[in-house]
Order: sequence, then structure tokens, then C-alpha cells
Amino acid sequence: MSDRPKDTKENCEWFLNELEELPAEGPKWTTPQELLTRMPEAAREHAARCANCEAALQDFVDTRRALEEMRAGLPEAGPWFTGRVMAAIVAQEEEIEEKKNGVWISVRRLAPRLVAFAAVLLVLGGTWALELRRADQARGPEVRPAESLFETAPSTPVNDDLIASRYEEQGR
Amino acid sequence: MGHVPKSGAIKAPGPAAAGKVDGIEARGVDDRELVRRAQHGDKEAFEVLVQRNQGRVFGVAGGILRNREDVEDIAQQVFLKAYFSLKRFDQRSAFSTWLYKITVNECWDLMRKRKVRPLVYESELTEEQAQMYLAAEGKTEPAPDVRERLETRQQLDRWLECLEERDRVMLVLKEVQGFTVEEIAEIMGINSNTVKVRLFRARQRIAERIRRKRQAAGV
Repeated sequence: MSDRPKDTKENCEWFLNELEELPAEGPKWTTPQELLTRMPEAAREHAARCANCEAALQDFVDTRRALEEMRAGLPEAGPWFTGRVMAAIVAQEEEIEEKKNGVWISVRRLAPRLVAFAAVLLVLGGTWALELRRADQARGPEVRPAESLFETAPSTPVNDDLIASRYEEQGR
Repeated sequence: MGHVPKSGAIKAPGPAAAGKVDGIEARGVDDRELVRRAQHGDKEAFEVLVQRNQGRVFGVAGGILRNREDVEDIAQQVFLKAYFSLKRFDQRSAFSTWLYKITVNECWDLMRKRKVRPLVYESELTEEQAQMYLAAEGKTEPAPDVRERLETRQQLDRWLECLEERDRVMLVLKEVQGFTVEEIAEIMGINSNTVKVRLFRARQRIAERIRRKRQAAGV
């Protein structure tokens, strides 16, 4: 049993929690008074003082009684149900296996065509590359102006040389 | 419907209910061990899990869907899904909790596909409806309690229609199936305080409709 809190609002929360924690199964009760006998003393005292919680108690009883009828009419699994489930599992496993094999069977069936297609691609690709190379060669190398072996371009003066020549000029 | 003990893990009917299945001695073997074996390909272990949990799965699906054919199909789908997802189940929660989560989700998926309110969808006559039909044909006299029960059930269906899907499911799990608040919170993937608040509001709405009916009847 939970301790009773001191504050009023907390008392209501505590009372509603206690109500909600009541198990659905158990001795039958049809009135709020009967239900209260299954709750702690503090809950009975609180329900006597708090109109809101008393109303909540009535709602609880009314709803539970209304839903009693639902329990009686729920469908149940037949004795064959387990067998049906296991048979469905086996059937689905076989279907998955067939699909897997189906993929590989298709690949094996298409393998010669895939090989032929790959070979054709290779030949075409190789031919194209060869033609490209021949076209490059047909254009020939670039023509550049002839150069004399004995002709040398004037070298650009190095700064040191310039400084040295000026120094000599100044020295004269 | 079996008593549900109030505990952290939702417990299906105990091992004694499972019996022996094709050589596997299920007495005394808990769900954890059976799940572990099933994850390693032991179909007999999974069969025992099906036997132990089918009642509750039917109950949960039946509380949400009500139509017997739908309930059977959904229950089968639930176990198939559980079997083929079993290797990904890490046993952080109880197997039964995980199974009921799948059940609730499958029911919701069906409801979304059908786009009809499931509690009024009946594709076959219940026993009571059949009796009423035969009585209307003049072929037999329905028992007075049958008529009354049928009317009560139809009335209940109408009341539950006023609730949001999730609230309806929570109320059914709590009041019809006997799950605790913590168990419902785990199944629905929400906080237990949120469950309490929603249950409180759902009861208020149902009770309001009950009061209106009583006032209309002059009770």
C-alpha cells in the first residue's frame, strides 16, 4: 500500500492511481461502495470528501461493467491455429528459398549472353581506342623553325655581370 | 481468459499450459529460453511460443477488431512477423510484450487499409445475430437474453466509437485484457502517466454516454 501524501491535489492523484492499479480480474463488484471495500482506508476517506474523485470512481465502475460484456464475446484460437501458423511459416520459407534460387537460376541462364555482350563491348571499345590513336598519328608532329647548331642565343646578362661591368666603367 | 499477474514483464499462461510438442518438453522452459532456441532455428520452440501466446494475441486483436475472420488473419500475421523478425529481437523486453506490440500495430494497419471503423465492421453473423435473423424469418424464437446481449454489445460498440483509436485500444487492453498500466505503456511505447491520463479521459467519455442513455431511458 502506498503512503498517503499530505496535499489535497496529491491526494486526488494518489486516489486515481490506486483506482487505476486495481486489477481487472478478481471478485466481482457492481457499485462504487463494493469497489471501495477493496481499496485502502485512506482511499475510502478521500472518496467521501472529494466530489471529483467520487465521480471518477462512478465512471470507473460504469465503464468496467459496460466492458464486461466485451470479454464474453471475444474470439478464441481454435485447436488448429498453431498448425496453421507453422504451415504458413514453412510455406513462406519455401517461397523465400525459391526466390533466392530464382535469382541465381536467371543469372546462370543469362551468363552466355552476358559473356557475349561483354566480348562485343570489349571489341568495340578496343576498336574505338585504336582508331583514335591512328587519327592522332595521321595529324603528324608540329613543324617548328629550324635552328642552327652553331647559333647560340644571347644570354641574358646576370646581375653580377652588370654590376661588375659598371664597376669597371666607374673605375676607368 | 487467464489472470494476468501484475509484474514488470507481461506473462502469458505458464509453462504448464504448453505441454509437449513433438519431442520438446516445454514444461519448465521459460519464454526466454524458447526464444533463444527459436532464434537458432528450432521451430518446435517457436511452436510452443505460439501455443502459449495465441490466446492473448486473439484477445488483444479481438478487442480491437471484433470480426472473427480478421482476428484470425491478424493473429497468424503477427506470429509470422514475429518468426521472421525473431533474429532481430534482442530480448530487452519480454517476448509477450513484443508480440502484443506487433499485434496492436497489425490491427492498426488493417484499420487504416480498410478505412472503416472496425468495431462496427462485421462480415459474419455472430451466434446471437444468427438467432435474431432466424427469429425474423419466423424459423425460431431467439432467447430473450440473446436479444438483450446483442443490443448491449451494439450499444457498447457505439460508445467505444466516440474514443480515439489509441484510447480505445488502451481501454480494451486495461479493462478487457487485464494488462497493467506499465504493461500498456510498454506495448504502446508511451509514458505510464500518459496512459493513466488517457484512460481517465476515455472512461469519462464512456461514462457520459452511459449517463445519457440512462437519462433517456428514465432510469
